Amino acid sequence: MQRNSTMKRTFGCVLFLVLVAATVRGSGSQATTSQQATIPQDDLKDFQSRVQKYLAIQKKAAGSVSSLHKGVTDAALIVNHQHQMADAIRALRPNPVQGEIFTPWLRGTLTAAVKGQVQGKAGTDAKATILGEGNPKSPESPSPSKITLNGEYPPKAPLSTVPPRVLMALPTLPEGLEYRFVGRTLILRDTRADIVVDILPNAF
Amino acid sequence: MNPTRNMLRHGALVLLLAALLNVQAQQTPTAVQPRTAAPPQAQPQPQPPALKFAIIGDTGTGTKPQYEIAQKLASTRAAFPFEFVIMLGNNMYGGESPKDFQNKFEKPYEALLSAGVKFYASLGNHDVPDREIVYKPFNMGGKRYYTFKPKDGVRFFALDSNYMDPKQLDWLEGELKASGSEWKICFFHHPLYSSGEKHGPSLELRKVLEPLLIKHGVDVVFAGHEHFYERIKPQNNIQYFILGNSAKLREEGIITSSEITAKGFDTDETFMVAEVSGDEMSFQTISRTGKVIDSGKFRRAERKGATK
Repeated sequence: MQRNSTMKRTFGCVLFLVLVAATVRGSGSQATTSQQATIPQDDLKDFQSRVQKYLAIQKKAAGSVSSLHKGVTDAALIVNHQHQMADAIRALRPNPVQGEIFTPWLRGTLTAAVKGQVQGKAGTDAKATILGEGNPKSPESPSPSKITLNGEYPPKAPLSTVPPRVLMALPTLPEGLEYRFVGRTLILRDTRADIVVDILPNAF
Repeated sequence: MNPTRNMLRHGALVLLLAALLNVQAQQTPTAVQPRTAAPPQAQPQPQPPALKFAIIGDTGTGTKPQYEIAQKLASTRAAFPFEFVIMLGNNMYGGESPKDFQNKFEKPYEALLSAGVKFYASLGNHDVPDREIVYKPFNMGGKRYYTFKPKDGVRFFALDSNYMDPKQLDWLEGELKASGSEWKICFFHHPLYSSGEKHGPSLELRKVLEPLLIKHGVDVVFAGHEHFYERIKPQNNIQYFILGNSAKLREEGIITSSEITAKGFDTDETFMVAEVSGDEMSFQTISRTGKVIDSGKFRRAERKGATK
């Protein structure tokens, strides 16, 4: 009888320790994904699907223009290649509609995600980063900043710095696309063609 | 109770406890310990040859000060033959047409480019990433962030501080972890520490980046963005420099009462030359008129601050 109770106690201790170790191991990985977890899964899947659909167009465009060779030293070739990419994408996507990727049903979630990172005392620095130098509508460095779908990102305008906390709160983008701000408008920018893919006004 | 069986049971429990504690030790971040010099070797290790390089920041204006700094940089090379130049962002202001590349980079640095000096660029908030990363003379290899090792014992990490996403942070952690015990030098545009009145430190960036730099023993960080020169007092064993005035200048841009400034200079444009030799880095910051406005030397392991 005594032997059985000792065994039970030993087993109980071991089980408790195993559970503690498993909890410690699991908690570290939640921090980086908890911000993105606020986006409903269905909306996230839909967003990712639309992004992939656009990237398929980008890939097709890249296949239709002559590629840049590695080690290009002539800036004219680089600029020309980007213009060719932009023209090819416009031909493949002739009538873009605002909200194709920043869909109306995702708009609220995206703005909440951005607002959550720039509000209050904790968000002061992030907000200042977005609206400061680098933002084409910043009072510090105003630049021509007319934004149109499929339009080239304004050539002389800088690109806003996007705070890490905002990037962590928004859905992850694959290579070839990025988020930027023009004023308080969130844009989706094609980095290869340097064109505006979608626009979300008044993101915060 | 069989004593042998009892011993075996308790022994198994002890082994299990030891295994679990080992798991926890791996997960629990250890406090940053001050790095100490390596214990003396039985035989002296041969020192790798010294590495000389130059640093410029916020250059891409195409204006007279940029050209003047470029000329001073080229003439300095005669006495101090640096092998390459790192660029701290804003390599091109106000557009990136082919003419901009010529006027804001190729022409000003023609003498150095002709001499075979390499330039390694990082991206600033005025740069168009996808034009500059494929431009061969910037040696970015098609990447917004990258690493290179010009000599054994010294590794550089060029980061994109405009778009510090989780992917870049994961990449950096992996590269820092893999780089071993060599010198780790990071350069990017936005400073983590700054006494600038206009911009100041990038606190959002500091929150996510500094822990990695500390954890993996980064030795030096160069940044631009502020259009002045500042050597910051070492922070968590990392030596920080701001050099964003290699073409643009913000006069009286430094908050003079700042407690973190070791040396500040905001009355002329500057560039820096540096040398890594064994465990020591020495540097000179030189103005557009050729005046040495700061210089010093520090060790990797136990940094005692600059000598001047």
